[in-house]
Amino acid sequence: MMKKTLRAAKKQTCIGGNLFQALLPYIGLFLLVLIFGVMTNFTSVSLRNLRLIVQQSYVLIICSIGVFFIMTMGSLDFSQGSIIGVASIAIAFLAQCNLALAVIVGIVIGAAIGFINGFLFVKFKVSSFIVTICTMFIFRGVCAFLTTEKPMSAPMYMYSLDQLYIFVPVVAVILGLGWFLFSGTSFGRKVKAIGAGETAAKFSGIRVASTKIFVYTLAGALAGFAATINTIRVGSITATSGTLLETNIMISLVLGGMPVTGGSKNRFSSVVVGVLLFAVLNNGLALLQIDPNIQQLIRGVLFLAIVVATTDRNVAIVVK
Amino acid sequence: MNKSVEILRAENISKSFGNTQACNNVSLSLARGEVHGLIGENGSGKSTFASMLCGVYAPDGGTFYLDGEEYSAHTQVEANEKGVAIIVQEVGTLNGLTVAQNIFLGKEDRFTRFGIFRPHKLNRTVNEILKRYGFDYINAGDMIDSYDYEVRKLVEIVKATHFGPKIVVVDETSTALSQDGRDILYDQIKKISDSGNTVLFISHDLDEVLQLTDRVSVLRDGSYVDTVVSSESSTDQLKILMVGREIDRKYYRTDYGGTISEEVVLRARNINVKDKIFDIDLDVHKGEILGIGGLSDCGMHDLAKAFFGAAYNRSGEITTATGVKINSIPDAIKNGIAYTAKDRDNESVVLNASIRDNITLLALAKVRKGPVISRTKENQFAQRLADQMSVKMQGLEQFVAGLSGGNKQKVVLARWLGTEPQILILDSPTRGIDIKVKADIYSLMDNLRKEGRAIVMISEELMELIGMCDRILVLKNGRINGEFFRSKELTEHDLIHQML
Amino acid sequence: MKTDLIHKKSSPGKLNGALFLVGVTVLIYMIFKIVRPHNFGNLSSLSSYFQQALLPTVAACGFYFIIVMGLFDFSIGANIVLSAIVGVLLSRSFGYLGLIVGPVLVGTLIGFINGILYVRLKIPSIIATVGLMMVYECIGALIASGSVLTLGQNVRAFGNAPWNIVLAVIAFLLAFIFLEHTKIGTYTYAIGSNETVAKNMGIAINTYKVIAFVLCGFFAGIMSILTISYGSAITASTNMSSMTRNFTPIMGCFFGLAFKKSVNPVIAMLVGEFIITMILNGLISLGAPTTIQNVITGCTLIGIVVLTTRVPKGAVVK
Repeated sequence: MMKKTLRAAKKQTCIGGNLFQALLPYIGLFLLVLIFGVMTNFTSVSLRNLRLIVQQSYVLIICSIGVFFIMTMGSLDFSQGSIIGVASIAIAFLAQCNLALAVIVGIVIGAAIGFINGFLFVKFKVSSFIVTICTMFIFRGVCAFLTTEKPMSAPMYMYSLDQLYIFVPVVAVILGLGWFLFSGTSFGRKVKAIGAGETAAKFSGIRVASTKIFVYTLAGALAGFAATINTIRVGSITATSGTLLETNIMISLVLGGMPVTGGSKNRFSSVVVGVLLFAVLNNGLALLQIDPNIQQLIRGVLFLAIVVATTDRNVAIVVK
Repeated sequence: MNKSVEILRAENISKSFGNTQACNNVSLSLARGEVHGLIGENGSGKSTFASMLCGVYAPDGGTFYLDGEEYSAHTQVEANEKGVAIIVQEVGTLNGLTVAQNIFLGKEDRFTRFGIFRPHKLNRTVNEILKRYGFDYINAGDMIDSYDYEVRKLVEIVKATHFGPKIVVVDETSTALSQDGRDILYDQIKKISDSGNTVLFISHDLDEVLQLTDRVSVLRDGSYVDTVVSSESSTDQLKILMVGREIDRKYYRTDYGGTISEEVVLRARNINVKDKIFDIDLDVHKGEILGIGGLSDCGMHDLAKAFFGAAYNRSGEITTATGVKINSIPDAIKNGIAYTAKDRDNESVVLNASIRDNITLLALAKVRKGPVISRTKENQFAQRLADQMSVKMQGLEQFVAGLSGGNKQKVVLARWLGTEPQILILDSPTRGIDIKVKADIYSLMDNLRKEGRAIVMISEELMELIGMCDRILVLKNGRINGEFFRSKELTEHDLIHQML
Repeated sequence: MKTDLIHKKSSPGKLNGALFLVGVTVLIYMIFKIVRPHNFGNLSSLSSYFQQALLPTVAACGFYFIIVMGLFDFSIGANIVLSAIVGVLLSRSFGYLGLIVGPVLVGTLIGFINGILYVRLKIPSIIATVGLMMVYECIGALIASGSVLTLGQNVRAFGNAPWNIVLAVIAFLLAFIFLEHTKIGTYTYAIGSNETVAKNMGIAINTYKVIAFVLCGFFAGIMSILTISYGSAITASTNMSSMTRNFTPIMGCFFGLAFKKSVNPVIAMLVGEFIITMILNGLISLGAPTTIQNVITGCTLIGIVVLTTRVPKGAVVK
């Protein structure tokens, strides 16, 4: 009898996820802000610094939205940085003629690369990890090729567009749309179902193949849009523009409490919390003038620790 | 042969998985040199018992005694070393390895010297063994992938018996073999028994069991019922023991003499599925319960998938009453076809999602307010259906993974009822489910039928088909091999005759 | 006996796979030779391509165990860099002994850490090894403290024939022995085929997974000896730049996987790497800029994988 009730109690945890686990990222954020605040004599919470943190997060947030959908399906995307690189070059170039054109072309390029990712992944059944690593490599090469002579510079007027009052609303709107898409539409449900049980999703009439391709195209398009913001903020695009973005996105999402295997426990809020956590962490470490290598080490260890903490052990799948 | 010396005693063996009690204080005794049958309905615990004996699971309670000494095994290899082997129901060989590697998997040390393992010696030994069995046409060094299902089962037989184990468990192996394969199997069983060792023979085919065994033990709902001497028993007696006196024909439909409507709701013509189904034509009528039965490999499960638009490499046409062709799962669902899969956990439910999410996934259009999904509508919709099926749950938020088999199936049916289907394709709907839930499902089927919906039921349980269907089609090797109409006189013999 | 029971599925035959590989090699050679007869493909360059191909094949041997199981180790590149750094430093005090023992030990240790962490933490191997890659890069950077480490002139023997070939062949032989003549090979294939069934049969899944990671690290360590001897200087990699080193071994591995039914995997991997090396050199002889190399590498890998992936119908690919 005792055994049965204990077992029943354990089953309770399957109901909607552990409350503590859900709150952990917020607690972490609060603690982090506190710790860095104290250690830097509160310069970390000065208005100027806070503004810096926000500015450094635009591109990351937008791209993380796309990757969030991908990872909810249980797949990965390592090509985001390269998409930003290539799209930024095109944007910087076209902005000399027409800004609107540049923005649109950037989105189209991103969507095209995203579509290639999705297509290769779905039609040839190659693991998303391999496909996106390859496209990352390919387009990183393209980016390097296009900037061999010199970096591509954006026209001067773009610099003046780097304003909080332009970007913050834009990012907020995109966040809002992303949240709505995920939590409030049937599309969001389908994505979650694919992540939680792809075969059952297929047998429920969900068109898995086209949904996957669409999600990758969407993520690419979002990256293409973020490339505009990147171009405006950075001003000149080099061969290494955008490197590291893909792992930063993954780290942010993980910090935000998203389980890496995706599924129905994913919450959209992990995008915002995660990116904030990441930005605050980076900012704090930089303010404390910690050696860049040690910073990387901290990021790596933290990443692993949190993945372990958020991975659902109850899931009865074989972990590869 | 003195068959009264005990070789195995099981005392109060118990095992449960989550909320399901698979074995409940089962006590059994096997004698040396006998062929001992173990029968029971689906969910009776026979496979679980066998798995515990062979090291696949550890019992939660109780003890085994082998040859008088306490016995336990944590892996199949350990069980083998102690003299117990099993031929499993599903695939027991691994692709990507050779025949020889499969046979000696886990026992390579015999061929290893100073850490170096010698594949040539392994292959030579295995070829000798194969020759001993008369399987000259199987080559030890070949990849097992290059042989078909039946030959691979023969390799499994070799794997389980070549070292002369004291007890060999044959778990539902015969049902998937051809007549030739079965003959080989029976031959081996006789050899084992003649040499003084014991066979525990698990099967659904009661005639086969009575023919082959010395004694038969019966399990029901995880508990031990009785053991009878085969030569003094009959299939009727076994059936009564398996199912219990209080459940008889009332369990199933009680009406007879009705007519099947002329109105065709689903038409299948020239259906061919590569290697599985050949030239099948059939009609499904309004208000009909059409049963499809046969050996587990006869193609009926693939036929079910074909009706749902889920079969690969299918040719031929499946059309609805209005002439719409069904070629994909979305087609099927849009045209009012529902499908409950045999592989419940993978195809019918998303285990790691809540009951509510599972129920609403099929009917997203119905819980929307404009483009937005309304939480309230979702909850109402799901609650209504869950109540209708009386799902025993802790709440809509509970993950389906935490439910018992019967309740999972209730969620499955609840989901599909939400789509208001006109045609339901139920593949093995009561597999692994306890008696009470089975009765609920049968009565649901009867109600649906009376409402004018059509049901196609695929089942490996003949009693169920005979009890519930208006019409039964028997498949053999991918073709229709018999059609039977509902009647009080219909027996399992009639069906089995067309299945083999 | 009952010969009608044999339903042996027709296999393309061992000869076909081998012929295909040889055919592709010759084809690639011919393409570049025709286009650039002077810059490409004379005897001494062929020998140089062959020697270049040896390096990634060594690492591919180790990675093979991992990929057969369906896992990934993304830290190979970081492993190679870190092991090479240790190798250079130790060689300054211990000569060849330091150069050989150091990287092999470090490589194996890294493999062991990867395996243990993966098995204990139960997170997907891709994620785990990406995180660990970052950690290993940092450790390498800390040890090297920003400077370029140059291998002493007196210990450069492995950079040229015959010693580089000798070392590589030793590695190949070891790989062959592990694969065909120990339980490790059998169990690796078993786990890769169906982990649940293998576990039920009593194979200690976790132990053999760790062993696979250890082997991967071990061979990466050997490759690092060759790498540092060949290139003679090493800098610590940062910001995941070591990822580029992962690619070529991975590509060779896919060749091995694709042809393992007809050709010994080690040989298939070597031929695959040789083909890839020819392609890269051929492009250089065509005057293609180095930046395009990455594009070609990426396209080639994707092409190889697409052509060699065989997924059963209905299987879930993430």
